[in-house]
Amino acid sequence: MSKISVQGLRKSFGSNAVLKGLDVEIAEGEVVCVIGPSGSGKSTFLRCLNKLDELSAGTVIVDGFNLNDKTVDLNEVRQHIGMVFQHFNLFPHMTVLQNIMLAPTELKKQSKADARATALKLLERVGLSDKADARPAQLSGGQKQRVAIARSLAVNPDIMLFDEATSALDPEMVGEVLQVIRDLAAEGMTMVVVTHEMGFAREVADRVIFMADGVIVEEGTPAELFGNPQQERTQDFLSKVL
Amino acid sequence: MFRAGKLAVAVTALLALAGGFVGVSAAVASQPQAAVTGETYVIGTDTTFAPFEYREDGELTGIDMDLIRDIAANQGFTVEIKSLGFDAALQALQSNQVDGVIAGMSITDERELIFDFSDPYFDSGVQMAVAEDNTEITQYSDLAGETVVAKRGSEGETFANSIKDEYGFTVKALADSATMYDDVKAGNSVAVFDDYPVLAYGINQNNGLKSVTEKEQGSSYGFAVNKGQNPELLAAFNTGLAELKSNGEYQTILDTYLEQPAPAVASGFFGLLSDSMPALMKGLGLTLLATGLSILIALVLGVLFGFFTVSASRVLRGIASVYVSIFRGTPLLVQAFFFYFGLPQLTGQSIDVLTAGVLTLSLNAGAYMTEIVRGGIQSVDPGQTEAGRSLGLGYVTTMRRVVLPQAVKIMTPSFINQFVMTLKDTSLLAVIGFAELTYQGQQIYAANFRTGETLLIVAALYFIVINLLTMLSNKLDKRFNK
Repeated sequence: MSKISVQGLRKSFGSNAVLKGLDVEIAEGEVVCVIGPSGSGKSTFLRCLNKLDELSAGTVIVDGFNLNDKTVDLNEVRQHIGMVFQHFNLFPHMTVLQNIMLAPTELKKQSKADARATALKLLERVGLSDKADARPAQLSGGQKQRVAIARSLAVNPDIMLFDEATSALDPEMVGEVLQVIRDLAAEGMTMVVVTHEMGFAREVADRVIFMADGVIVEEGTPAELFGNPQQERTQDFLSKVL
Repeated sequence: MFRAGKLAVAVTALLALAGGFVGVSAAVASQPQAAVTGETYVIGTDTTFAPFEYREDGELTGIDMDLIRDIAANQGFTVEIKSLGFDAALQALQSNQVDGVIAGMSITDERELIFDFSDPYFDSGVQMAVAEDNTEITQYSDLAGETVVAKRGSEGETFANSIKDEYGFTVKALADSATMYDDVKAGNSVAVFDDYPVLAYGINQNNGLKSVTEKEQGSSYGFAVNKGQNPELLAAFNTGLAELKSNGEYQTILDTYLEQPAPAVASGFFGLLSDSMPALMKGLGLTLLATGLSILIALVLGVLFGFFTVSASRVLRGIASVYVSIFRGTPLLVQAFFFYFGLPQLTGQSIDVLTAGVLTLSLNAGAYMTEIVRGGIQSVDPGQTEAGRSLGLGYVTTMRRVVLPQAVKIMTPSFINQFVMTLKDTSLLAVIGFAELTYQGQQIYAANFRTGETLLIVAALYFIVINLLTMLSNKLDKRFNK
């Protein structure tokens, strides 16, 4: 059974149709990279998967939860889905450790001591053990994004969504963040990664989706999509970015 | 004297017409004065009308005060005096907040439509005065081309206007005697037209003026009750007045204030400072009390309605927006008058001045607080909410742990600003007779005519208190909003 099942997904902001009917099935453990020109609806697609944006039409079933079902507890669903943002969105009034411990303790999943132990383990995993008591303002962009990933992992999600996680970073910091995502992929995490890093997509993805103008134009394995794109729009896009 | 409040008269007439019930009780027949024995009546008066009413060492004194107290003692009832200001006292009488008014008030046809007057207890008249060192103006004909000053709506103004064309001068109107005298001393006007007893008292207090003409024939002062209300009180006043006149007490009172005025001792600035400090400190206490209560309530209102403004519910947003536009869209002064005078007329429930004042200030400041809270919450990056929600935190938790701590930090300087504004706004409550700092200052210079020095002291007190509180707030801000 699919970990994520999307059927006929449409999303409009007022009269502006951003998603015009998407159908996607993502299996457990699969890493899917979504590429495409800006304004193509990639981010909106991602935000519909945890309902940060309301769905206008269509069905989204994530980890067995039907997001159209009004009785589904959205907060419960979101604990199964981690999300990492382009601009990190760390909580500036908290230390790194407090950022990571907030959700597990507020959601009563862990005692303070356990949450702290978990947070320190996660920091070690993203290579920032020495930054536990730092404030976000004292970190570089790459460090901030690694903390944001650790924060998402703290609620032990089954799925991770990455929304252009490296787009706001200086080039020399992209690598450290991609390494963390790569490690997660290797551990078998189900992931949807919206990205402009074509090399990364080619290396890590099990499948690549190319979106333009709110529709999926073409999808396939990295070898197929990058090596032998079928659609003219895909060829056109790739010729500009590769 | 004739301080009109023509608008008040018109409004009352309209109200009376609209709801005929207002006047129904007028039919109640006059009761024998024995009915007043043992009763307590609330009497409204002016704040600043020496020698009829003024404060000496914090105590209300003057011809009116002595008269009403002596009559009360003579007739066996008790009075509770409320020093409200002239217009305010009349409005309080119309809304039955007080039982009677004695405030050096002329008996006029207009006023007799809405009040019942006693027998006249004093015959007044207008007189002209100029600055002490002025030797050029000795009669009306010397006024050609000059500006004179008179009290707004008073008999002095009416008289000055009646002769201004004949003698070719301009009339300017100001609100109270002390200000008028300062205007003449400052040379902005060459002469003042005022009621002779008031003028005589001021001159005896070394107010820097001298009278240069004889008094004009004027109107008579009377004690008033609301039309048809408290007829027994009116009857008792008349009986008491007659008895005081026949036993000589009445003349003694007049002599005390008009013939042998208390010798004015012009103490230095520091004398004034130490004399006025007890009253001013009492005023400052009330200022701080009203500010503190108002800010606390405003904070609660601001947070409540502030959350309404950012809520998803259209109804809640609408409620908050109506609240803010009403209280931000009308002057504080109008709100104060409404809560103190208007509301009792509408509800029939009288309201004390502190409650009315705090109600006004807290609702007004609450509207501004609402905007501060809304602005603070909205200025937090929406990405913060998204991050919180995507972690599975609920709306309330996200607000409490993520958005509000950041919003409060942004709001704090505006909160401090609003706090200072509200503290200063308490001075407006002087108009409804709330005895805060500014009111106490007005009381003091109304009696001693040392307007400049007194206001300097009052301003300095505000300045010191506000700056101390601002420093304290900033310190707390730094400490808690690192």
